[in-house]
Amino acid sequence: MATDRHVRNRLTPWRLVLGVLALVVVLVAAVCVGAADLGWTTVLAELWAQLSGTTSPLDQRGADILWQLRVPRVLLACLVGAALASAGAAYQGVFRNPLADPYLLGAAAGAGLGATLAVVFAPGTRDWIIGPIPLAAFAGALLGVGLTWVLGRSARGTGTAILLLAGVAVAAFLTSVQTFVQQLDTDSIKQVYTWMLGGLNTTGWQDVLITLPYIVPAVIVLCLCTRLLDVLALGDDEAGSLGVHPGRVRLVVLGAASLATAAAVSVSGLIGFVGIVVPHVVRLLAGVSYRVVLPLSLIGGGIFLVIADEIARTVIAPAELPLGVVTAFTGAPFFVLVLRRNRGKLS
Amino acid sequence: MTGLVLRGVGAGYPGAFSVRGVDADVPVGGWLIIIGPNGAGKSTLLKALAGLLPHGGEIRVKGRLLRDLSARERARKIGYAPQVPQLPEGLSVADYVLLGRTPHLGLLAKESRRDMRLVTDVLHRLDLGALAARPLHTLSGGERQRALLARVLAQQPGVLLLDEPTTGLDIGHAQELLDLVDRLRREDATTVVATLHDLTFAAQYADRLLLLNGGTVVASGTPSQVVNPDTMREHYAAQVEVLTTGGGEIVVAPTRTPRET
Amino acid sequence: MSRARLALPALLLSLFVLVGCAGREPSPAAPSESAGFPVRVDAPGGQPLTLDHRPARIVSLSPAGTETLFAIGADQQVVAVDDQSDYPPRAPHTSLSGLTPNVEAIAAYKPDLVVASADTGNLVAALGKLQVKTLVLPSAQTLDDAYAQMTTLGKATGQASAADRLVAKLKHDLGALAATTPRPPTPLTYYHELSQDYYSANSKTFVGQVYGLFGLVNVADSAPSSSGYPQLSAEALVKSDPKLIFLADTRCCKQDAAAVAARPGWSAISAVKTGNVVALDDDVASRWGPRLLDFAKAVAAAVTKAAPSGH
Repeated sequence: MATDRHVRNRLTPWRLVLGVLALVVVLVAAVCVGAADLGWTTVLAELWAQLSGTTSPLDQRGADILWQLRVPRVLLACLVGAALASAGAAYQGVFRNPLADPYLLGAAAGAGLGATLAVVFAPGTRDWIIGPIPLAAFAGALLGVGLTWVLGRSARGTGTAILLLAGVAVAAFLTSVQTFVQQLDTDSIKQVYTWMLGGLNTTGWQDVLITLPYIVPAVIVLCLCTRLLDVLALGDDEAGSLGVHPGRVRLVVLGAASLATAAAVSVSGLIGFVGIVVPHVVRLLAGVSYRVVLPLSLIGGGIFLVIADEIARTVIAPAELPLGVVTAFTGAPFFVLVLRRNRGKLS
Repeated sequence: MTGLVLRGVGAGYPGAFSVRGVDADVPVGGWLIIIGPNGAGKSTLLKALAGLLPHGGEIRVKGRLLRDLSARERARKIGYAPQVPQLPEGLSVADYVLLGRTPHLGLLAKESRRDMRLVTDVLHRLDLGALAARPLHTLSGGERQRALLARVLAQQPGVLLLDEPTTGLDIGHAQELLDLVDRLRREDATTVVATLHDLTFAAQYADRLLLLNGGTVVASGTPSQVVNPDTMREHYAAQVEVLTTGGGEIVVAPTRTPRET
Repeated sequence: MSRARLALPALLLSLFVLVGCAGREPSPAAPSESAGFPVRVDAPGGQPLTLDHRPARIVSLSPAGTETLFAIGADQQVVAVDDQSDYPPRAPHTSLSGLTPNVEAIAAYKPDLVVASADTGNLVAALGKLQVKTLVLPSAQTLDDAYAQMTTLGKATGQASAADRLVAKLKHDLGALAATTPRPPTPLTYYHELSQDYYSANSKTFVGQVYGLFGLVNVADSAPSSSGYPQLSAEALVKSDPKLIFLADTRCCKQDAAAVAARPGWSAISAVKTGNVVALDDDVASRWGPRLLDFAKAVAAAVTKAAPSGH
């Protein structure tokens, strides 16, 4: 079939397998190396021991470090990276704009305000299952996007230009409120600032468990909408003529993407770059159809953030670098490299 | 059965229709071309026929009311090609045309062999076979219009709505495209409604013409009925002569008023 | 009509006179209080400051500075302190900000000396235009820095002898504490926590030096840091297994021993297992003023408690 050969909108099985394999390798490598030098052979032996039921080669402290600290942290980095990258790809599809990122519609500003309010006003955290900061950041992010949607609709549009403008307005407003609250209690500034730089250094299994129920369904919804995103790329009119409701698709996709973003931001702070760079790199390497870009961004985002977190926690060990700084440093040059190698493919 | 029937159709926004009172009957396989000066409402009417703008009155497609159709049903019956299509960068021609199969696929469905075969056929019919793998942004103007047409044809619609399909094409490519549409509609018995700004082409290819001005139909009928110097002067504020070629084709020739010295 | 006409220039003239008078220093009171003036004090990292008269209207934008001023008997000379200066309680608390100083608001108190911990937003230059002198005393890097600042404040306020006595007493008391606190044969390791995302202070800071008096070893020392305040990774902390944990984030971030024990993987740390997680007052553990002694006492108590169990 001649067309079969020319069609690049499907995710070939071997690409998917390759991606998943790469992810598994990166995960295992990240678990083997860390600030507490446990020895990579020992860690591999420990992993094998858990799988096969034989005795563990690690002492109690080593086992705690590995299973209570390192493994959940690596898994969370993977989850957060996958969430942010796929949300970024989804936002780019909805806005038909390669510079869109998941913080566009007020998610970052809302999360920042939530975190600030939690730092300044929240009581002690001992009896809560989820700490006040993640909870407030999650709610804040959703509030920001919700406000943007409502504002956009009240201006009679679910069109992209109106949403973008509403997003800018909401972000500006929420940021100003955040600054005001910070001035009320200047002690909070340092705490909020470090939160906003992004980091995973207080991660435990708790964080993985509270984000999983949001990120997984959201990402599944996004994967189901990939063909609709491809059609949306034709513009509202043409998409409408093909039987797709652009407004409805936008609502569902933005809702799912914002949910994933909010859950990620609640545990990791504001980590930039992942949402823009990873989908772009995937596009340059594998094609523009969202049926390819979204699943591969999921995997790529996980790989990227696991590696970035690895760097953040080992390069100046036992001290840590803020994760947001690492993603910017590693993301930018890599992106430039890929751009240069693919000059011919872009117009 | 008639392909497309319009009765008292208005188009635009409810309470502020910019196009009003349009009647037309287009038989199956027929070709209606809508002409009129700039701002007459041609594109608005076409968008309403495509279901993209609200409309008043009755629009029937093969006997069924347009507003009774769901979006997907509508997309399977009507194909719409806008004047300025959005061509996603980096998408190959084959992928682009394949998007036309969307109304026939369920939410989770992948394209089947049948869909692929269909797209291959369409590509060959429009002489795009050799360009199937090329990214859209590398095509010339004429090739892009053909790709757009291919995508709309892949929908297998009974009705084709083409908004200024010869935009940006030189005279040779414009003729080529219109000949292609003519051939396709005869082969597939597709009803075609198009807007054209070039009056000669409109007169040469249409079965029936609809002249719109200021949102209302000011003339309708066969090309020879509608295209005459008086109508042109009145509605286009243009000086023309309507000529006939040796082969009996109508040509609308603008005439220059002599300069006063 | 002519009266009204004269009124405006008269008003303007009196305005000029008033403004001219406002900038003048208040005349010194008794001769004994003005002894030691004019004085030249060294501002660390900046230009030396010359004060002609004993300052009687001091505005303090530095919490540590405030504590010192009140400890050396300069109470009556202080007219306003910033919003973060909450000790001693009798200090004239205002809403002035030391982080984002508003020059006009500060000037409204008609100060003749401003004590600040940083020259934020060109504060010194701006106040200089109003003929107000600013003494910038930045965060102390070492204990000696802290003592030097107390001495400087003493000279600047005419309370030099009180300041010298304070410094001497501090040195003596700290030395005595260090001498009388038991030291185990292997030095105890400790972790000083500034925030619950594991920001710490290493032994090169003045906080670290206080711990150093008791022979304690800081687990943050192996972390590269130019500022002295690295952020540690959880894994490294657990691996280093400190015998003592000091929490300086009990007020800002509401941490306590129970919260620390609940952190993933932390229950295995010696300090947690033996109940040697000490909650400090954030301010006492971070201000380089007279309450250094209170801080040292808390450390001494912790070391005494831990010494028998930490070999």
